Amino acid sequence: MFYHNFKYSLKILLKNKMLIFWTFAFPIILGSLFKMAFSDIENNEKLDTIDIAIIQTEEFNNNQIYKKTYEELSNKNNKNKLFNIYYIKEKNNLESKKKANQLLEQDKIVGYLFLENKKEIIVKTSGINQTVFKYVTEEIIQTEKIITNLIKEGMSSNSTDQTINQLYEKIYDKVLSINENNTILKDTTNTNLSYTMIEFYTLIAMTCLYGGILAMTSINNNLANMSSKGKRIFISPTKKYKTIISSVLASYIVQLIGLFILFIYTVVVLKVDYGNNFPLIILLALIGSLAGLSLGVFTSCVFKNSENTKTGIIISLTMLGCFLSGMMGITMKYVIDKNVPIINKLNPANMITDGFYSLYYYDTLDRYYFNIISLIIFAMILIVISTFSLRRQKYDSI
Amino acid sequence: MIVFNTFLKVVKSSLTPIIMFTLILIIFGITNFSTNDNSLNFEVTKPDILIINNDKNEGLTKNLIEYLTKNSNIIKVKDDKYKVDDALFYRDVNYVIIIPKNFKEDFLNNKNPEIQIKSTKDYQSSLAEMMLERYIKVASIYKSQLTSEDKIIENINETLSTKVDVLLTSKLDANNLNKMTFFYNFANYSILAGCVYVICLILSSFKNENIKKRTIISSMNYKEYNRKLLLSNSLFVILLWLFYCILSLLLIGKSMFTYHGLIYILNLFIFSICSLSIAFLIGNLINNKNAINGIVNIIALGSSFLCGAFVPLEFLPTGVINIAHVLPSYYYIKTNEIIKSIEVIDIHSLKPVLANVSILILFTIGFSVITNIISKNKQKIG
Amino acid sequence: MKNVIEVKNLTKKYKELKAIDDLSFEVYEGEILGLLGPNGSGKSTTINCLLSLLNFNKGTIKIFGKTMKPSSYDIKEKIGVVFQDIAVFEELNVIDNINYFCGLYIKDKDTRKKYVLDAINLVGLENYKKFYPKQLSGGLLRRLNIACGIAHKPKLIFLDEPTVAVDPQSRNNILEGIKKLRDEGSTIVYTTHYMEEVEIICDRVIIIDKGSIIASGTTDEVKHLASIEEKVTVEVVDLENKYLEEIKNLKHVDEVKYDNNILFITYKKGKNNLIDLIDYLKINKINYTKIFSERPTLNDVFLELTGKELRD
Repeated sequence: MFYHNFKYSLKILLKNKMLIFWTFAFPIILGSLFKMAFSDIENNEKLDTIDIAIIQTEEFNNNQIYKKTYEELSNKNNKNKLFNIYYIKEKNNLESKKKANQLLEQDKIVGYLFLENKKEIIVKTSGINQTVFKYVTEEIIQTEKIITNLIKEGMSSNSTDQTINQLYEKIYDKVLSINENNTILKDTTNTNLSYTMIEFYTLIAMTCLYGGILAMTSINNNLANMSSKGKRIFISPTKKYKTIISSVLASYIVQLIGLFILFIYTVVVLKVDYGNNFPLIILLALIGSLAGLSLGVFTSCVFKNSENTKTGIIISLTMLGCFLSGMMGITMKYVIDKNVPIINKLNPANMITDGFYSLYYYDTLDRYYFNIISLIIFAMILIVISTFSLRRQKYDSI
Repeated sequence: MIVFNTFLKVVKSSLTPIIMFTLILIIFGITNFSTNDNSLNFEVTKPDILIINNDKNEGLTKNLIEYLTKNSNIIKVKDDKYKVDDALFYRDVNYVIIIPKNFKEDFLNNKNPEIQIKSTKDYQSSLAEMMLERYIKVASIYKSQLTSEDKIIENINETLSTKVDVLLTSKLDANNLNKMTFFYNFANYSILAGCVYVICLILSSFKNENIKKRTIISSMNYKEYNRKLLLSNSLFVILLWLFYCILSLLLIGKSMFTYHGLIYILNLFIFSICSLSIAFLIGNLINNKNAINGIVNIIALGSSFLCGAFVPLEFLPTGVINIAHVLPSYYYIKTNEIIKSIEVIDIHSLKPVLANVSILILFTIGFSVITNIISKNKQKIG
Repeated sequence: MKNVIEVKNLTKKYKELKAIDDLSFEVYEGEILGLLGPNGSGKSTTINCLLSLLNFNKGTIKIFGKTMKPSSYDIKEKIGVVFQDIAVFEELNVIDNINYFCGLYIKDKDTRKKYVLDAINLVGLENYKKFYPKQLSGGLLRRLNIACGIAHKPKLIFLDEPTVAVDPQSRNNILEGIKKLRDEGSTIVYTTHYMEEVEIICDRVIIIDKGSIIASGTTDEVKHLASIEEKVTVEVVDLENKYLEEIKNLKHVDEVKYDNNILFITYKKGKNNLIDLIDYLKINKINYTKIFSERPTLNDVFLELTGKELRD
């Protein structure tokens, strides 16, 4: 009996095209779109080589520090290569400037350096590349400044031309050598930093919660006040809890099949990184789906509306939850977490998202388990309420 | 009038998703548009830095923090492990600097203290690292030559305050243009989703076999009936367009009353008409009311993601952009991006805009022709 | 005769509205009981109460001698119901639908297989075994709906308007099937408003209106309850109004209607009504092309008893 109903519930769910679209195909399509849109965004945020121009004025050609530094920073073999430099030398400075402005207008360069009695950088707009250009140039000016300052300090005692030259060379070497033994910074960043992963985690969360629609549909088929099929099942000699539990189990299985396909797809095709703790990833997926299932059970048992309205309730709750946990903009999750954490502590979509996030980003597991336990509590509360409302055996009206 | 009334009823019943998308747009608008200085001078990009100071706040340490504060945005979060790491992960900060205990003493006594940093490894964090490294380098040089801490600090500050002049050639109000582009790019999704969803729903209601039979046998001329339907739908699209124009005025303000703003508005209008033709085509192709929701999502989300409505075009992989060329949204969004950087509006600078607009119009004509061919073949119930 | 169902003083209120008002009746073993009544008279509510789907305010219901409760699985085992709405799964084909619902009663696979085939044969769906509900016409769908309700060979069957919107061919097929079920030993409760059906298949009828019984008995007994006895129809061209008035005053005449050159006369009681009428026509030299007399149908009785105003 249990198996009979289970088998048919499975068959009925798998043959429902709309359900399968929303729970199986839609997340995969959405995930593919995410991938296409976000795959380059983080690479684009890395500091790239910047195209600049330098007008070869006399002052520039005569200044070794400028010349050497820029040469070094645009050297192909330097792994910290920062610039691509167009050196411009026309008949006169005015012509050169004209040329440089042309390049600027065509967006071939972000800016150019013009060194005369005044030191100037000319850019088209404000921006990060322009800022880097400015910083590097300032660094050169400041290095010059250091040398003059130090010479001033050294000069007070001995002040012959020769000693000044010696001093200059000594200080110059010193200033350059400090560049090399600069090992004072230690990077302790966690290795997994890819924030676009959150998008995919919310996608999993969405799929888990959408799975509730499966449970809802399955239970509705069993409820005499929801469908005529339910009346038929009600008047049969089958015990109510048996049909309901077997239907719910069937919907859980269908939900897990969908989630499993999505997982495989995200890992193999979309290259989503869930961290390395495989068993815990599975556990989270199982419990996340359970939360979605409980949402579906709750909606179908407690609300007395039509099936369409119930579907609407689940979809709206899911989308709201996913919105708050960062699906439409990752910042949203952070803003909520930072300012009104209670909202996301109650939001099942965030519990799932945050669970994956803590597996991916953190080494410790306490935050992960906090989310797991929250999900279990969420599911239990909804299931207990649903059970109470299901225990009623007769209806006042149908 | 009957056609129009039925139309209104259907619109009313499908307002919820439109309201939701609009709300999302407004929320994003408000959160992203909060900074509102539109200076025409060069503005330095300031990275967001978080400093955790375990040393006493005095002398060199204090000076370091002051230097960083001046050149970056200092972000404060509660000092717990998760809060700091979360802030880094979600790019609330780009760079975390943890100053160790006795940093100042150890540094001055050549013990090479270790500063722990956490970095998002992007532009901003590289900039932050440059800043920090430069400070340490300058400090190291002076430390190796000078003994008095005050003297060292004085020299550091004097050195680091040396600046280079930066001149700006563009006279564009980049800040507001960015906002406009963001808003109108996002409108790609709302307009497309709104049009396709509502119009498909309406067409499928009117196409419902029984209603269709009724309209066919009714005294209303079939062509007139179609014309009224088209008129109601166009009116809806124009209202939707007007709504977004007004919304942009509210969110962006008076900068919309410029030639740039006008082009954004006209561009959206042409795109709205194009969306209408897309909606008509899809509405004629599908008969299943339940399928509408899925198709709307795929079309609207798909073209928004692929054509750069959510993620700027410059951040999209070239492969995706190549695919995007077959979608009308691409030309709409591309135009928005072009407008953003047009310095002087004249025939010459508007050439690429006009090219994109022509492509959009061609798309519209194409979709309409296909729709006509299809609906001609479908005039009988079957 | 054994009572299969005993209902005593059943009362069901929806807030202030009494849907069933102190209803008592029995159903005997092996009969087909017609439960008649206009829309909203309480037929379906009564059945739902019998099945203990609905709470009711007062009364007792016994089926097979035992009080019916939601957990009376031993009683439920012997009941089959065909609801008014089509209750089949769109996602399952004909044979799977029947097998699924049958499986809720019959555990043994082989028996079930046989039962399912029997049901398919009974309703004549042999050629549609692999069809999905969407592909079936209205009549075939109704037949499937019936097959799903009775495949487990129940002892007691409720049929709630199973022939709504079904063409005459399908309807005959269904009615034949119902008779066959009765002949195989099932007791059947049948609700409908098609009076011809009732006359064909029901052994006994109960007419309900506004939640209470207004008539019950065999079809003949019920007909006697109504005050009409005979209906005469005359085809006569251009009858003058004065004759119409005179006919109205003839003995036993209850109602006269003249419409479209056809004269309808209803008689309350009495004998020789037709002969009296023919005499009258002869005396007054009224020419007629056709004349015939009928016994009242159940339909007339039904209208007479429940009134002719429109129901929702």
